[in-house]
Amino acid sequence: MSTPEILKPALYAAEGTSTLPDHPSLRGGKCQCGYVFFPLQTYGCEVCGRTGDALQPVALSGGGMLIASATVHIHAGRTPPAKADVKPHTAPFTIGSIKLDDGPTVRTLLVDVDERALKPGQRMVSKLVSVGSGAQTIVDLRFTTAS
Amino acid sequence: MAKTLKDLRPVYVVGIGWHRYQPLSETPYVMLGLPAIRQALSDAGITWPDVESSYIGTGLLGMAAGRAMLKHLGATGRPLVHIENASASGSAAFRHACIEVAAGIADVSLAIGVDKPGVVQRAFTKTGIGNLADDAIVPFTHFALLTNEYAHKHGVKPQDVALVAVKNHRNGALNPNAHRQQERSLDEILGGKPVSGTLTALQCCPVGEGAAAVIVASEDAIKRLGIDPGRAIRVTASAASSEGAGAHAAADAAITKDTIADALKQASLAPTNVDVLELHDAFTVEELHYVEAMGVCKPGQAIHLLKEGAFDIGGQMAVSPSGGLIAMGHPIGPTGVGQIGEIAMQLRGEAGARQHKGAKVGLAHMVGLGAVCYVHVLQRP
Repeated sequence: MSTPEILKPALYAAEGTSTLPDHPSLRGGKCQCGYVFFPLQTYGCEVCGRTGDALQPVALSGGGMLIASATVHIHAGRTPPAKADVKPHTAPFTIGSIKLDDGPTVRTLLVDVDERALKPGQRMVSKLVSVGSGAQTIVDLRFTTAS
Repeated sequence: MAKTLKDLRPVYVVGIGWHRYQPLSETPYVMLGLPAIRQALSDAGITWPDVESSYIGTGLLGMAAGRAMLKHLGATGRPLVHIENASASGSAAFRHACIEVAAGIADVSLAIGVDKPGVVQRAFTKTGIGNLADDAIVPFTHFALLTNEYAHKHGVKPQDVALVAVKNHRNGALNPNAHRQQERSLDEILGGKPVSGTLTALQCCPVGEGAAAVIVASEDAIKRLGIDPGRAIRVTASAASSEGAGAHAAADAAITKDTIADALKQASLAPTNVDVLELHDAFTVEELHYVEAMGVCKPGQAIHLLKEGAFDIGGQMAVSPSGGLIAMGHPIGPTGVGQIGEIAMQLRGEAGARQHKGAKVGLAHMVGLGAVCYVHVLQRP
């Protein structure tokens, strides 16, 4: 079997961090001023305005705490999928807002969750799921409840 | 040191007008905007050549909508400018019309909000910075997440949050300019089409078409043009802000807190002095967030006041007597201008069946994507 293709390699990696080696890490950034952010960018720091080398990549652990969740019942899907051969989002799906252990808050799709049992404060972890619609295996990042 | 609106020469709302907010139709935007402006001119008792500048709040029409509409009032050659600030486009147009008059650069200015639903690409999707799933998270899901967080934090049930929609539909049913003019029971609201999280269709604002116009004038102009000073409503504060660093989900409430506090300070007023409040209630939970951010009550307590009728017309403070975005509607450009019109009508005592008796102080609040926030205070002299 070939290695799965990562849908958004600029945003996350299959490898975990030393603190959470078994879950994909997110590609964030850290400014000289101490501000940690996601995703990585070098345009300029949102806190202090520093740019260039002041902004360094940092791998953020794929673990965090659920702040809120919502199951989406209506989705127009005007935006085409990020790539051909990727399944579009079809309602219903569940979105979570997760405060990462390393600081930033991210919002993305949750998988393998019982929406009625989801509670803010719950521990969440990242995982890669297959989203391809063709022969090629394409994976994208999701979050799920920690077992 | 920088000045506030109140340090400059007094500015008054002297004319208000609308084209009803309604679902998308074949009506060209020109024929939405012109009736609203003509109504505002007639309300002020002035004519188009008296208007020295125009601010056009529009988010969805596209480039250069203004002159193609305004020329049909008689092309006076006066300056005009378009203001796009997402949901707050109309509020921004009003602020800058006020500033021009207060600064003495014009004596009479028009703020006109006009829009029709259309597909406009949101620039923040073109920054070149990726995102995990923004294509799956539209505004109603942003607010569904905030509803879930609020409900959990304060032990509030979805049926409590929906009471905001019951009140605002009730108010909208009395407003001939509202997009939705029908009273709705709590069962109807909760039993409606599920949208996202616990939000149902009637807890989300309709985005249609329409127009709202407000004419502001100086005291000189009021005297010179023979405008009835008894119907002029003074704008005593204008405050605006944008989101600070460190993206956090509740940014709208955070900037609301600071911007309302700024506006009330400019007007030397306390939250309890406000009689009529028009809020950005695009989704039910927002009314709870913003009333609390304003300091009317402690976090998590707004539901109790709502249930007691404190926010009804005739209550302690009428919140969104127009019907708010949920019932009056949210055609984008007109929304913030229409709020000012509603407050002016209330402070004049001309709101008819929606009149909040004895209203002396009104506050208009708007947030827009970004996030940005605008707050204006109006007072009966």
